[in-house]
Amino acid sequence: MLMNGKGERLFRILGLVDEDLIEAAAPTRPSAVRQLRRPGRWRRPLAAAACAAVLCAAALGYLAAGGLPGLGSSGPEAGGAPADGSAQGAPAAFSSYAGPVFPLSTVETDVSLTAERTVSWDFSPGTYGDGSPRQWGAAVTDRYVLANASAEDVTVTALYPFAASLADLGALSPTVTVGGEEVEAALSAGAYAGGFRDAGEGDGSTWDLAPPAQWTDHAALLEDGSYLAQALGDAPALDVPVTVYRFSDFAAPHERYRAATQAVAFPVDPAETTVLSYGFNGLSWDTETLWRQYDYFVPDGVRGESELKLLLVLGEDIGDYRLQGYADGSCEEAIDGVSCTVSREETTLDAVLWELCRWELAQADSAAWPGLETLDPALYHRAAAQALLSAGLLADAPADRYADGRLDDFLWDVLAQERVMYLSFPVTVPAGGSATVAAAYWKAPSYDFPGEGDGDLQGYDLVTALGSTLDFTALRVALADAGGVELVWQDWGLQLSGGTAEAALDPSAPHYSLVVRPLSP
Amino acid sequence: MEDAEIIGLYWQRDQRAIDETHGKYGGFLTTIAWNILRSHGDAEECVNDTYLRAWNAIPPARPSAFRAWLGRIVRNLSLDRWKRDRAARRGGGEMEVLLGELDACVPAPRGVERTLEDQEIAALISAFLRTLSQESRALFLRRYWYGQDIGEIAGALGCGESKVKSALFRTRKALRHYLEDEGVCL
Repeated sequence: MLMNGKGERLFRILGLVDEDLIEAAAPTRPSAVRQLRRPGRWRRPLAAAACAAVLCAAALGYLAAGGLPGLGSSGPEAGGAPADGSAQGAPAAFSSYAGPVFPLSTVETDVSLTAERTVSWDFSPGTYGDGSPRQWGAAVTDRYVLANASAEDVTVTALYPFAASLADLGALSPTVTVGGEEVEAALSAGAYAGGFRDAGEGDGSTWDLAPPAQWTDHAALLEDGSYLAQALGDAPALDVPVTVYRFSDFAAPHERYRAATQAVAFPVDPAETTVLSYGFNGLSWDTETLWRQYDYFVPDGVRGESELKLLLVLGEDIGDYRLQGYADGSCEEAIDGVSCTVSREETTLDAVLWELCRWELAQADSAAWPGLETLDPALYHRAAAQALLSAGLLADAPADRYADGRLDDFLWDVLAQERVMYLSFPVTVPAGGSATVAAAYWKAPSYDFPGEGDGDLQGYDLVTALGSTLDFTALRVALADAGGVELVWQDWGLQLSGGTAEAALDPSAPHYSLVVRPLSP
Repeated sequence: MEDAEIIGLYWQRDQRAIDETHGKYGGFLTTIAWNILRSHGDAEECVNDTYLRAWNAIPPARPSAFRAWLGRIVRNLSLDRWKRDRAARRGGGEMEVLLGELDACVPAPRGVERTLEDQEIAALISAFLRTLSQESRALFLRRYWYGQDIGEIAGALGCGESKVKSALFRTRKALRHYLEDEGVCL
């Protein structure tokens, strides 16, 4: 049973009070988007959220009887989107954008290799946990025949880019083969591929994430090569001295106070000191006296509270602090019997970040995030350090989102933010000959949230040469096992027959897209 | 569009019902979900789930106070999601604080409690709320029905946070005594 069982029941009962009272007390205007983040938020379960969205999409699927946004009111005909293969009436952006299928490239910039590319999309349905069919996503195989017309063998370090978050890697990481043999590829992660935006108020603040919303966002990110250079470059150094206050040996009268809270308060001059926290639930401060108070619910061995609780002080140390126990997180009723041990140590931010990244991965929910516990901590640490310097409190202009210095949220964002990842592996193309390279992976679709757009549509983008050093001479696309989907929009010129189709595309066009709708079982 | 017309669309199984509901009450529902979840993504999905629940419930339902009816759904869905996320990852947060505050309203056992259905207890609480000043009632419901935080309530009502806190404290204490006097057991 969770803490606050009776409080929770009372909260639900309050939901049933007379409606005229509810109406009379209603805020005069919606304020959700104005409400800023406060300490004590918890994590967004993206995988579960996406799954829930899919379930809703399936349930609401039959609601979507109209046309695709941007195509007018008439419903698109199966496989019959622009017959001339033009991009006329291209689909509007989806609520959730999965990123395109990127082309193979190389670390070397002066290669003279040509490439014939074939991308196949296998729409064989999967299953939900209960065994029922699930038409979601596609198995993509991206094949290349690299040709070397020169008189000497050419060995390159191939790069295969793909869009994913660190938390998604367990489900989305491609398998790479060279000459039909699987090869071990090194993984590099680019920085967060999106930006930040206000929370709907148009005030220019940076409280919300603004991930890439369409392929042109990725094009802007990759076209000058700086993103790749950073991804493959050295990890940023965080040898910043830091004083760490570590809280342990927690005790509280839990039998009487189920939300017993430990607070620590001290004066802070923000011009001289930056404080980051981990494992704390609350933060309050007095702008006049400069006193600041951090608090946490005392771990009781029952709740899922982190037992790693740190305050990281950068700059001038905080000096004396005051500990006080409270009955609950409101920190109004002081109580006795709440205690902890506080130790102080001096180290570097880099060392603490390593500890936190390892701790985060050790705490990962493997059911919600398959494979996350096996994520290379070095990859995570590097991404976290980069984010601290670009958007966190160590940045020149930190995002409002991270202004509270709460590393719990920050580190989760690092895991969940969309990036472009790169698999790198050696390929030798013999003189006058060729080599085949293929990357195979499951590709999640772009989709609309229920109630937005057309509900159950799934979109896929293909970019042809973005960021690539190769000279593409041919491009083909193929669909397999597509009997369970309707082709709603495409600029590929495909005609489905028996669930399969293929077409030759112009490799000089920058981008192609496909939108499908699962057919009802 | 009037609520009755929107509900009529649901009865006609017209998908515009969802769009009209979202257009009219999307912000309201997102407010409540956000107050509980503090995550725009999660709040958005709870709101979407609310539309699905509404679609499945109407017909046969024909809610008389549509906004509050929807608000009740999103409130419960958001609490469920909050509990799930909290169990999956870790606790803490504004909602934990809010529920901890409500714990203070739970009547102490006296040995002669009545076991009542939630709706009966809610009716008693409604009666209690009607005994409060309009301001105290609004403060209490904004906090514990709409899930607003102290600072937001203070800002919206143009008073200090300390006033909001002390008013809520008094109301919680009074509610607890009221429920104890009514012999309510939670």
